[in-house]
Amino acid sequence: MTRKRWATIATAILAGALLAAPVVAQEASFKDPTGDDNGPGSYTYPTDAVYKAGSFDLTGFRIKERGKKADVAVDVNSTLEDPWKMGNGFSVQMIFVFIDTDGKEGNGFTDGLPGLNVKFAPAGAWDKCIILSPQPQGRVRSEIEAKVSADMRKAIIVPVKVKGAGRTLSATIDAADLGEGDPSTWGYQVLMQSNEGFPDKTDLLTRKVNEYEGQHRFGGGNDGDCDPHVVDCLAGDGLGDKAEIEAQHAMLAHECNDDGTSKKMAELTMAHVKK
Amino acid sequence: MKDGRMAVVLLVALGVLAIMAATAGAADDSILKITGTTYTKWLYGTHRNDGSVYTFTTVPGEGYGDNGQGSEIELLLQARVSKQVEVRGRIHSRFNQNQWTNFGGFGGRNPALEDPPAGDCVGGDCGEWDPRSNQYIKLRGVVVTLTPGYSWINSATIGANDFGMFDPFAIGKIRYIDRDNASGLLFQGSAFDRKMYWDATRISLPRLWAGPNFNTGSFTGGDAAYGLQFKMVPSDKIEFGAIYEHVSDIEVQSNDTNLDDGTDVRSRFQNQVVGGKFSAHPDPKIDFSAAAYSSYAKSAPDLAPASFGMVGFSPVIAGRHIDATYKGDLSLNDPFDAGLSFQVQGFDIGANYVSMLAARRESDVLLTEGYDASFAFPGPNNAAFGVFGGNPSRIGYGGWDGTSHQVATINVDNEFTDFDESRAETVIGWRGVTIAPQFGKANFDLSGEFTYIDYSTNWQAWGDDTRSITDTDYPTHELDTGVGHNWRSAYAPFQEKKTTIGVVNAKYTIESGKGVDVFAKVKVIDETDERMNDARYLPYVPGDCPGGVDCGDVASNYYGTNTTSSYFTNPSYITGAGGVDGYQWKPFDDIADDDRDLSYKMFGLGAGYQLTNDFYGSLNGEYYNADLVDGNTALQAYNLHEMASGKHKKMKLIGRGKYVLGGAEIGVEYQANFGTFEPDFGTGFVPQVADAGIASSHNVPVGSLGFSGRYGGWNSLEKRVFQEQRLKAFMKVQF
Repeated sequence: MTRKRWATIATAILAGALLAAPVVAQEASFKDPTGDDNGPGSYTYPTDAVYKAGSFDLTGFRIKERGKKADVAVDVNSTLEDPWKMGNGFSVQMIFVFIDTDGKEGNGFTDGLPGLNVKFAPAGAWDKCIILSPQPQGRVRSEIEAKVSADMRKAIIVPVKVKGAGRTLSATIDAADLGEGDPSTWGYQVLMQSNEGFPDKTDLLTRKVNEYEGQHRFGGGNDGDCDPHVVDCLAGDGLGDKAEIEAQHAMLAHECNDDGTSKKMAELTMAHVKK
Repeated sequence: MKDGRMAVVLLVALGVLAIMAATAGAADDSILKITGTTYTKWLYGTHRNDGSVYTFTTVPGEGYGDNGQGSEIELLLQARVSKQVEVRGRIHSRFNQNQWTNFGGFGGRNPALEDPPAGDCVGGDCGEWDPRSNQYIKLRGVVVTLTPGYSWINSATIGANDFGMFDPFAIGKIRYIDRDNASGLLFQGSAFDRKMYWDATRISLPRLWAGPNFNTGSFTGGDAAYGLQFKMVPSDKIEFGAIYEHVSDIEVQSNDTNLDDGTDVRSRFQNQVVGGKFSAHPDPKIDFSAAAYSSYAKSAPDLAPASFGMVGFSPVIAGRHIDATYKGDLSLNDPFDAGLSFQVQGFDIGANYVSMLAARRESDVLLTEGYDASFAFPGPNNAAFGVFGGNPSRIGYGGWDGTSHQVATINVDNEFTDFDESRAETVIGWRGVTIAPQFGKANFDLSGEFTYIDYSTNWQAWGDDTRSITDTDYPTHELDTGVGHNWRSAYAPFQEKKTTIGVVNAKYTIESGKGVDVFAKVKVIDETDERMNDARYLPYVPGDCPGGVDCGDVASNYYGTNTTSSYFTNPSYITGAGGVDGYQWKPFDDIADDDRDLSYKMFGLGAGYQLTNDFYGSLNGEYYNADLVDGNTALQAYNLHEMASGKHKKMKLIGRGKYVLGGAEIGVEYQANFGTFEPDFGTGFVPQVADAGIASSHNVPVGSLGFSGRYGGWNSLEKRVFQEQRLKAFMKVQF
């Protein structure tokens, strides 16, 4: 490669850095410990080779408003790959970012979205949910139209584009879609799931968790839908402490009946920025 | 089958399914689930081929084309019989020649009644008499999964599988038309509180391709591959793995005269691979992994090809070979907290590395993006053996879209693909390093690649002087001449090759409306191949063709009586165009006559926009410029292919759209491809004039200049101008 070409590359990098300079930011940031990509403590990855170790291990989450836009970023404990050629830099992950913007107990939704098999504590009822999927926006919207109740649909934000690079999935959304308020004061819950192109008829592009892992199914759960289909999530204060592993396991604890129906669903709480 | 009988069978089958589903639903709606997909494709192209509803295949008799419309349906059946037993299967219609023009798959010519035979069924012309065109449905993907609940085994999967849980270097994800064409037994378990996992399998060897010469001989019922894999995950920072594969292709022992004690068998082909893997994640910013594999392959020379000539077609090399493959990866994930990451990969894929069941497609074993798929075959317009009449472009002038993904086998499978799909290419013999920086900040992404490749297939006379150059263990398929890397060609008789690939990709999203994606790319490939680099391999003694007279034809032997003159024969002394006397092609009297020097540049620029919530569209332009010296008329692209030495300029204008409506996904890609090729075949020969016969068989003007080669093929010396339009639209509905 010639010296001139390297100079061009360096100029492009510099230009990109300048273009990326922040405006005015309101932000929230969380960390999550590594090694807790096992849901309530027992979940295992599907057996197909595309599901690399750490692919579903949530390690961080950031949201930052800048002007009329808001940037969302989720970190995982593995370099992202695109084995299914989705075209966004990642394939297997799918992430739900639930946000409690009003902080009012019971105001918002306490049911999770289809396929997640979770509930939210009334104190952390969610008002908005950002879905980060490698599927085209139209496909995600189409699934939402078909599988999510009308009132919930309005609260779901599907970015036009989601990109994966390095270990980070990121997207930019219109800040107005999040509503008024200071993101640094909101409550957040980030649920790690897997992109399933052929979901069950009631699941929102989510991958199943069964008792035994399969080629494209998580294991360590239940063959029914009584178990939370969440591989990793924020817990505690979202500082990344190892103690949050146990907090996550406790939060995702659930009970099943013999027929696979739910006796007690996992109930999630929100994480808030520690001031 | 009489008219309408197929329709009745279909109706009955669907009726039975409906009853089963209804019955199941009445009892317990979770027992049997039936879902499905339909897929409809529309191809249009100016090559005017309509052999099947796929752009590309090399499978004899299947047909390929760039025109046609077709539909298929697939019913996915799933039943959980009990907590321990799950059954899955599919009923899927054949797609190949199910064109709408078949009018439902009736009528047509009946090959069984043709005397003499009228040839292959293509384009649906056999109507109801061929399962590829009569809307035939077939059972596929039948599998039973048992989860008995024992402590020592998690699951047993019996039946169809793509075996994607193994390793692309050993037992790769296996597919053909479907992802689950292969069948076998798969047992999976875990131990030590799920810190250790194991997979064991017996895969019935696909008789269609999984042996020498793309078959497994006669006694196929006993042919199998056996695999065992362990994975240890002692912590989230370290992972170990090991894999063993044994492939056994056996035949009945024909000289076993005592049948009272059963019949003996003997090996036709066997293959073993053992591999070890290690990965470490010591820090969130650092990933490291390494893998090593060793292979052993042996073919019985009396049951499988003992050797090949200059051109051979087989998924494995002949004879007995042992070799190894290594790969190491280092990822530095944003080490400076500046959005700048690096990936480094070193690789050495052995020239004699053989894994019969290594991934053939859809797995990418190397970090590099490799060669661009627009140049996929030797000829300037992607023709193979195009120097002979009747061999048009195989994938179209535009080739496949984009770059390539790499597989560690010469058993590469791009069959039944369309031009918009990703092409697989072999990396057998590649050894080198890739460095790939990646920078991302807000709306701006910049990534690049620098790859240097040396080759363990760099040798003279196939690396064995004691054998004739037309007696080799190495199948060459289309041979590696032309602008790009021919997708399944790893071997050449003489090679001294080095390749450098440089890539810069940039993408910026302009925050206007829903965000305008602007993307640009620059790619450079610099490649040299001295091929023959020792004068003792020249075919004839020095001064054998002195000029002005016929050559003496005094062969030069490089070992014993072995000589390259058996292949690179001398030219005749002729009177060419304008009455000029000279040699018909340049005598192969200089080791520089076969040299390759490629200077390749590609520039891309495009933009995409989410026009509505449901529709994303993009426009993209790609310009390719290749200045190629690929041997002169002495080499003649191994006498078999169109020569590609000269200047290539190609432009691809691509429009893409994707629309989602309810449960339907609709996509369209249109391309206008155009360009030129200006031949430069060097000197030392006299051009000839195309007569009416050559003009007719090679589609060149009468009186145009060219030269007739050793095997009677014709290489035109005229500037060629290419134009191609093509379109693919599809609709997929899940229900």
